[in-house]
Amino acid sequence: MRAMIIDDSRAMRSILRRIVAGLEFETLEAGDGQQALDLFESGQVPDLCLVDWNMPVMDGYTFITRVRANKEWRHVTLMTVTTESEQGQIVKALAAGAHEYVIKPFTPDAIVEKLELLGLLPVEALA
Amino acid sequence: MTISSSSFQLIAALVRRETAMVYDAGKEYLVEARLMPLATAAGCPDVEAYIARVRTDLSERRNALDALTINETSWFRDQTPYQAFTDLMLPKLLESRSLTRRLRIWSAACSSGQEAYSIAMLLDQHLPAGWTADILATDVSTAMLARVDAGRYSQVEMNRGLPAATLVRHFARAGTEWEVSPQLKRMVRTQHLNLADAYAFTTVGTFDVVLLRNVLIYFDTPTKYDVLRRMRPHVATDGYLLLGSSETTLDMPPDVAALWSREQLGRVPSLRPAAGVPRTASTHTPTRPFGSSLTTATTTSARIGA
Amino acid sequence: MTLAPALTDVHAIVDQVWTSFLGEVEPLLPADVAPGGPFPAGQAWSAAVSVSGGWDATVTVELSAALAVSLTTTMLGLEGPEAPDDADLADAVGELVNMVGGNLKSLMPGPSALSLPAVAAGRAAHASGATEIACFDGVWAGEPVRVTVHVVTDAPVDLLPQPIS
Repeated sequence: MRAMIIDDSRAMRSILRRIVAGLEFETLEAGDGQQALDLFESGQVPDLCLVDWNMPVMDGYTFITRVRANKEWRHVTLMTVTTESEQGQIVKALAAGAHEYVIKPFTPDAIVEKLELLGLLPVEALA
Repeated sequence: MTISSSSFQLIAALVRRETAMVYDAGKEYLVEARLMPLATAAGCPDVEAYIARVRTDLSERRNALDALTINETSWFRDQTPYQAFTDLMLPKLLESRSLTRRLRIWSAACSSGQEAYSIAMLLDQHLPAGWTADILATDVSTAMLARVDAGRYSQVEMNRGLPAATLVRHFARAGTEWEVSPQLKRMVRTQHLNLADAYAFTTVGTFDVVLLRNVLIYFDTPTKYDVLRRMRPHVATDGYLLLGSSETTLDMPPDVAALWSREQLGRVPSLRPAAGVPRTASTHTPTRPFGSSLTTATTTSARIGA
Repeated sequence: MTLAPALTDVHAIVDQVWTSFLGEVEPLLPADVAPGGPFPAGQAWSAAVSVSGGWDATVTVELSAALAVSLTTTMLGLEGPEAPDDADLADAVGELVNMVGGNLKSLMPGPSALSLPAVAAGRAAHASGATEIACFDGVWAGEPVRVTVHVVTDAPVDLLPQPIS
């Protein structure tokens, strides 16, 4: 399985990359929503996106809306990973088509458990 | 900085005596991490000095025990037991309890309450109108019980295994924390209870489902068996006892094994009261804390129809 | 009237960020600091985000250069002799203020928007009209970190910063 990590902070991408790589995901990275969309359009469509909200060029909310507007990308699981932590923001992201929502700061376990909820953990990681 | 081995042994012995939880050698760092905030709050220069104080200061000892008996916990921990609850146990119980329309669930060793509230969320969603549910949450730590009553969780705790849609439905922001809805709080009541205490269960009653997950691992072997023995009368004859995933393979001595029959619920192993066994509590090697003496322990090892 | 976050909340948020990414073994402790601040000249990093909407404020994180290096090393997962460069430090410190600022925003009346972080090597400078409404000083592994909240207003502040006991 392939995960795309979309965050303008390299440090945050690095933290997330180490967590999902440990779960046998191949990883792709993008520094904003537009870069991620460009990767999608070039054929690099992942199974899972971990999407920050506040990013330059194109924010995560717009990115989610754009991905959900394309039927060919319907199978892609979208998980928001952001410091935005108001209840209204969670509702807004879910309504736009995000499957899950993790609030920064998080511990590695939180990401693992959310992926388990989404049925995205490889069998060997569950054992 | 590491605590001395004599301090570690002292604190490990204290925890073991009062809660039967075992801190093995090598867990010094854990003791230190959990006691450091208390040491600072108490004005001690380090954990070593704090442990010295715990020897004589009883209220500080209580605080230390509370901090050391915290289990890391998440919402819907391990997922599959909760699926089994909703898909397999609940439909059967709704059938068999249709006269009383009441379900009783016990979260034994509830820690900060995620297990009890996870069950409450499922019941809120799946319990038909006109039914009531009573969820008893017990723990050895009074600080933990206070947290369950408050129903408030940090951002970091909220991230742990709670589906975002469920968070939005059942929680509201309360400062830096999130607070569970009054509706769920009404379902959950708390009681202080030490599982290792031979007489702890006498007043709790009988339950349709008992969750005794990931706590036996902390007990020494005689205590483990004793808890399973004493638990038997508190699970309804058609009820369920769920242990943690690593605990179900537990090798039980014959007298304990005879009390329970194993039943697989999908991927989840459960223990159910064995047929034909009288519902009598039996006590074995009572481990009453604080060294109080026991003179009336009855040992009735029931082994009928195993 | 200006709303200020409670200092205990600022501490709680900084503490959550710290323990999540740096582990729980070394706690972040509140510290008493002399006026002027705990940072030796030229030995600090600072980052700020602004919140605008229902609540208007600037959240600033300042930390010693040594602390910035250990934070960045941990976040990037660098090992051995690898040392983070200035771009790495700016990135990690920026993400730190993003997390602190975003969580503080959620405590205050909203809706508000969070800006992208601005990061600098050195102390933070504040506009002359800015009023400090909260200041948390902490120490992690002997190194100082300071979180301040400023508003640009002439209105009275209804909650003044108080020392954490």
